[in-house]
Amino acid sequence: MSIFTEKVGMTRRQFLKGSGMLAVAVIVSGVFAKIGFDAFAASDEYIAQRAAGLYTLDEKMALRKSHENPEIIQIYQEFLSPGEQKYLSEKAHHLLHTKYGKDIPSFIEELKGHSGEAA
Amino acid sequence: MSEEIIRGKVLKHDTQTRTMHWIHLLAFIILGLTGIGFYWDIAGIANIFGGPANASLVHRWTGVVFIVGPTLYILLNFDRFSRFIDTISSFSKDDFAWLKTMGGYVPFIKVEEAPPQEKYNAGQKILGGLIIIGCLLIILTGFPMWLWKDVVSSAFLALCYNVHFWTAIIMILLVAGHFFLAAIHPKSRVEFASMMLDGYIDAEITAPHNAKWFAELQKTE
Repeated sequence: MSIFTEKVGMTRRQFLKGSGMLAVAVIVSGVFAKIGFDAFAASDEYIAQRAAGLYTLDEKMALRKSHENPEIIQIYQEFLSPGEQKYLSEKAHHLLHTKYGKDIPSFIEELKGHSGEAA
Repeated sequence: MSEEIIRGKVLKHDTQTRTMHWIHLLAFIILGLTGIGFYWDIAGIANIFGGPANASLVHRWTGVVFIVGPTLYILLNFDRFSRFIDTISSFSKDDFAWLKTMGGYVPFIKVEEAPPQEKYNAGQKILGGLIIIGCLLIILTGFPMWLWKDVVSSAFLALCYNVHFWTAIIMILLVAGHFFLAAIHPKSRVEFASMMLDGYIDAEITAPHNAKWFAELQKTE
């Protein structure tokens, strides 16, 4: 029985067409990849500028640390932990810490219980 | 065409071509399935792949296989790729004549004898071109959706999503048509075993279906 097979190799025309197709695919992919890399570079530059802006603003502030803020110190000394600066005092914990989800109804009841004390 | 029966077998698709076709087909099925699951939010499809998050991972990495498979094939078989590109990009008068009658594949167009064709008929040539363009579009729009989503504009990303989706729909329809003609249509279903199994096809089938190519093969024998 005869077995018919293709001739191996390629003609110059086939080579040019194959190379051309491959080149077009590579160029189109390359241009597209360039757009992506440029977008990444622009994004990185934006993040760097934004970070630099925030640091500059922060450096210009007269008070840069909350625990050195005289008003905060005064609040602690006169109300949240009378006579001292106790940042995790029980009153500070109850008034400054947030409750979430299922804890909210009990928190509302707790606040109602304290409502008479404030007055 | 002579009445004489031509005996013998033609090696139409060699092992590497068939392997690449299998890998590309399996990748395409997984990509199509997961993609349809994402677009229409079909939990049943996502669950086949271990839930939406895993299906997304499978989609992305199968996309890599979808690219690497043919790329390796092209680099390792550049002569075969070049012959393929040459064949599907060359249209002769016979090809246009074949297209006018659709090669006798359409029931209501009667054809005595279809014009002689090369290794691939005019319809297969158009399909080959569309598949290449479709693959490029799907690959080029897929990666921005995966890797650039945080750095490109939402308008560009939306364009990628739309092009990716519509190209995928057209590709699925093309592949469905390709499967019907290659595996079900009585005129050409012998092609299925050639590409999916041993690569051979009877010479008596090739001689009338791909007359120009078969004449070349006879010269080199």
